[in-house]
Amino acid sequence: MSAHSDNGSGLPAPANALQIENLIKRYPTGVEALRGVSVDIEPGEFFGLLGPNGAGKSTLIHCATGLAQPTAGSIQVFGHDAIDNYGEARQAVGLAPQELNLDWFLTVAETLDYHAGYFGMPKRERRERAAELIETFSLGDKRDERTRTLSGGMKRRLILARALMHRPRLLILDEPTAGVDIELRLELWQYVQRINAEGTTILLTTHYLEEAEQLCDKIAFITDGQIAAQGSTAELAGNYGVANLEDAYLALVGRNELSRSRVEEVVT
Amino acid sequence: MSATQIRFFTLWRREINRFMKIKKQTIGAPLLETFLYISVFGAALGSRIDQLQGIDYVIFVIPGLIMMAWAINSFSNNASSILQQKFQGAIQDQLSSPASPLELLLAFSLGGFMRGFVVAVLTFTAASFLVDLPVEHILVLIPALFLVGFFFAQVGVLIGIRAEQFDDVAIAQTFVLTPLIFLGGVFYSADLLPEPFQTLTHFNPVYYMINLVRYGFLDVTEASIAFSLLALAAATAALFAFNLRLFVTGYKLRA
Repeated sequence: MSAHSDNGSGLPAPANALQIENLIKRYPTGVEALRGVSVDIEPGEFFGLLGPNGAGKSTLIHCATGLAQPTAGSIQVFGHDAIDNYGEARQAVGLAPQELNLDWFLTVAETLDYHAGYFGMPKRERRERAAELIETFSLGDKRDERTRTLSGGMKRRLILARALMHRPRLLILDEPTAGVDIELRLELWQYVQRINAEGTTILLTTHYLEEAEQLCDKIAFITDGQIAAQGSTAELAGNYGVANLEDAYLALVGRNELSRSRVEEVVT
Repeated sequence: MSATQIRFFTLWRREINRFMKIKKQTIGAPLLETFLYISVFGAALGSRIDQLQGIDYVIFVIPGLIMMAWAINSFSNNASSILQQKFQGAIQDQLSSPASPLELLLAFSLGGFMRGFVVAVLTFTAASFLVDLPVEHILVLIPALFLVGFFFAQVGVLIGIRAEQFDDVAIAQTFVLTPLIFLGGVFYSADLLPEPFQTLTHFNPVYYMINLVRYGFLDVTEASIAFSLLALAAATAALFAFNLRLFVTGYKLRA
């Protein structure tokens, strides 16, 4: 099996980077985290998934990456079924999860090396790629430190570098900027915009609306396990009859009274 | 190497790397423990105990100790490694990779298996310097030890997957495995026990494992070798199939 692309296979139309249809996830406790979610992300798109805590964002991501098992519905990654053809599907995805799920026993360099090994990357390529990402994410000084000793920001950098090690065609960033300092946030924005321009499809979840507004071509609002609306920032604002993404979001969660434009009206 | 080979080798390498990084605890401590047993039961008490089944007591206990070292290290390595990675969430890195359930299970299994192997080989080598330890039936000994190691590697995987806290692993080891191993006859011959304990011992699977290993080293046995080997192979295969099912269904691994 080739670890890399299946370009040149003469497919009539390129498959979506991520195509989710009617996804339902019910946990054994009976909680229904996803209630019939459908999302299409085109290749090369920068897609934002926004919603309050507990709306189902992480569950959706976990279903797409094999960390959770869908109850019903289908997930395709670049045309590969995420259940029946999980090998090809997962090969195409890089996941930077919300939790800092690093292995305390491993050093920074080992974390990157093992990850790429799990994705079948040969040794020389792993070395080169790790050196490149260590440089990009300014992890050089910490190369041989165990991950346990890293600061929160460094751990976040490493998790991003790890997700990128096997050159995924779809990068999933689950709240990558939660709790990081301004420099890292801006560095990260620059980097993901660059790789997006180079062709990597990106799925981002975030609570920072200005981040979504600035980065994403298309945004979906998810609440209570369902997609409430999706489209460009302007389309979403239009849908809710408001001026900007934040107000559209507040309309979604039913908290219009928190709108800053409204607060300004009240104050003036 | 193909992508699949690279992946499997990396998964396995990670397991070996984990125990090698803390080798004082994972290799050193079990070695010391085994030698304390040999000193106390073999050298100190052994001078007061007659031969068992025509064998000097110190030599009689060593095969069982080697087997016990392999078994306990296989078990505790895998149970701890899996639980620890679940606890840290780090196991998600393997679970979201293209690795198949079989690759994951084999790699986790072989981590503990290798640690048991290293401790057993070191114990054997050192014991061979101290006493004249024969190896009578190598063609029984090698498969027997490999099966014992792999069996307990599976038990470790099973407990590691089921465990939700470190206590769960300690409880399995202290209240189930250690009594079974001790009462399986590591330090004595079951013939010496009064009834009903002699009969009860025959229901302890570890009794057959010890007999296999003792036969391999010393050419003495209380149980049928063919039966013991077959039963051990069957039990190991059954447990492996059960664990594979857990990996396929994602039990306690994938939400």
